[in-house]
Amino acid sequence: MIINVESPILEIHDLTVSYDQSPVLWNVDLSLPGGKLIGILGPNGAGKSTLIKAIMGLIPITGGYVKLFDRELNDVRSRISYVPQRESVDWNFPASVLDVVMMGTYGKLGLFRRPGKKEKKIAMDCLEKVGMQSFVDRQISELSGGQQQRVFIARSLAQEADLYLMDEPFAGVDMATETAIFQLLQEMTAAGKTVIVVHHDIHSAMNYFDWIIMLNLHLVASGPKTDVVTEELLRKTYGGKLNLLTKVSDIIRQKDFNPLKS
Amino acid sequence: MSDFVYFFTFQDSSIAFVVIGITLLGIGSAYVGTYSFLDKKALLGDAISHAVLPGICLGFMLAGEKNPIYIVTGAFLSGALATFLTSWLKSNTRLSDDAIIASILSIFFGFGVVLLTVIQKSGNPEMAGLNQFIFGNAIAILEEDLYIYGGLAVLIIITLTVFKKEFSMLVFNADFGKSIGYPMGAIRLIFNVLMILAVVIGIQAIGVVLMAALLIAPGAAARFWTDKLSKLLLIAGAFSAVSGIMGTYVSFVIPQMPTGPWVVVFLSLFAFASFLFAPKKGVLSRYVARRYYLKKTHQDHLLKAIFHGIEKGKSSFPIEEIYQSFPYRKGETKQSIDNLVKSELLINNQGFIDFTPKGKSEAKRIVRLHRLWELYLNEYMNIAPDHVHDSAEKLEHILTPELEALLENRLNYPKLDPHQETIPRDNDEL
Repeated sequence: MIINVESPILEIHDLTVSYDQSPVLWNVDLSLPGGKLIGILGPNGAGKSTLIKAIMGLIPITGGYVKLFDRELNDVRSRISYVPQRESVDWNFPASVLDVVMMGTYGKLGLFRRPGKKEKKIAMDCLEKVGMQSFVDRQISELSGGQQQRVFIARSLAQEADLYLMDEPFAGVDMATETAIFQLLQEMTAAGKTVIVVHHDIHSAMNYFDWIIMLNLHLVASGPKTDVVTEELLRKTYGGKLNLLTKVSDIIRQKDFNPLKS
Repeated sequence: MSDFVYFFTFQDSSIAFVVIGITLLGIGSAYVGTYSFLDKKALLGDAISHAVLPGICLGFMLAGEKNPIYIVTGAFLSGALATFLTSWLKSNTRLSDDAIIASILSIFFGFGVVLLTVIQKSGNPEMAGLNQFIFGNAIAILEEDLYIYGGLAVLIIITLTVFKKEFSMLVFNADFGKSIGYPMGAIRLIFNVLMILAVVIGIQAIGVVLMAALLIAPGAAARFWTDKLSKLLLIAGAFSAVSGIMGTYVSFVIPQMPTGPWVVVFLSLFAFASFLFAPKKGVLSRYVARRYYLKKTHQDHLLKAIFHGIEKGKSSFPIEEIYQSFPYRKGETKQSIDNLVKSELLINNQGFIDFTPKGKSEAKRIVRLHRLWELYLNEYMNIAPDHVHDSAEKLEHILTPELEALLENRLNYPKLDPHQETIPRDNDEL
């Protein structure tokens, strides 16, 4: 079941993405409403992170297109914030919590210019929102997994965007923090922002998300959670990899070229 | 000694020039190298520095003499070709990074040595200086060459300073940079250019074989001392500059002595000293911290032993009896008792040991933490009562007051541990 909306905030049209030629996302077609807390669910290797990276233009797409606010990505970057997976960076990098959160202001600051008082103030406010104000000068290598996630979320808040794309922000986070972060995200959507979150736990997803996208190499469902979270669709999403699709991917990988590429 | 004074008082203006040159060069390459070390691309620097040799030789052959412009350009182009090939092979083949780097390094260097041999056979009288590019000789650099090398070094330092925020982003989280619209591809390109330039300006002073050490060792050594990027760059720059000057001095004192190996010797000394003596991360300070912890553990166990004695109804503790309860550790035990007496936790009354009020309270605290932890393991983690002691024996020394409060709260201020022993509180009577 795929429910489309009028004047979507994000529109994905016939999107196919491949890694090393083998397709990991097949012909995704969806549109999302603004002002909602949206969860992307699916088993490991279903292409959840791939979808987000493709939206952000971080990986090349094999076919199709993405429109944000009815525009090209490059025209609206300042309105979009991306939170990468925590494991994707080296937390031993010599930087303080403040240094990392301040990166959220770099987009508006532009190249060459150094962050000043104003940027520091924004960063401090955002740290307070995630309850990390007492860690400002802490080295990032000394943080726990949950604290690292909160630093990333604070950095994202510092971007002052309208659309947030977060890749597994709840991985390695304890229950109390998870609840606090979900509350924060709900406040943001209440204020008209749109938040899209890659998530792994169906149980908490049911509690918090307004809209749910289910992926398993292809789009299984997208719609308000009451419509799409059905036993049948969950089985389609989590009932193992699609054998045939995986076999086709394998054949494509062994070719010298990618036949799907337009 | 007179050499030393002569060198370091810079009476000779050409020495002053060389020292300024090597300082700039050292700082420049340490800056670039520190970023590439943080980016875990240390080997790329090694590949580039070996790969500039054929370019140097070709530059020499084209110019027919040791013309710095030709040589720098040749070196730069061949370094750039090696860097480009490395990333091209990575995205177009399934070879692993280390295989690519090793191949590029040896192929380019091999080709360079072949060209060098050809030049030597040609009998060109100018070629004498060319051997210096292998191991470097800072003293032999001409003043006009120094202007080029120094100028490029200044360019590197300025660019890295201006782009500090962009390069940090490149190393820490390039994807995020891309997501906010920064041209990360161009920033990577600029960084690679700076890296090649750093190698190019270093080759005459340090030599192609050892240039990688000047890139990587300063940052690696400085990393022991600080967790702040700006300090890291400063310390790395200082290590590199001082090593460079020392190496140059040796080349000055002993004629024909190559500079590169000596710079590496001094850099190694800095790296080794950092590894040993740096606070917190150095081997020595970790050893001291561990010694201190073991000492503290023994003292805690001693207090506990007396406490257990009181619990069993004993009233006097002759020191000899305490020694016996820690067999083969008499010296250590004596030391611990002395320390505990000194910190007013125990009193030694003519060979009989007893608690001070402060000592009794401390003993209670340790026993309390031990038993609370046992109870927690038993109740919350379903671990059998006969399996909880060992873990508690270790954790009683490190649980903080904050965790103690949390344990008390979770367990609802329990009276007994899983072995039905009383959990002692401060105002309990013993």
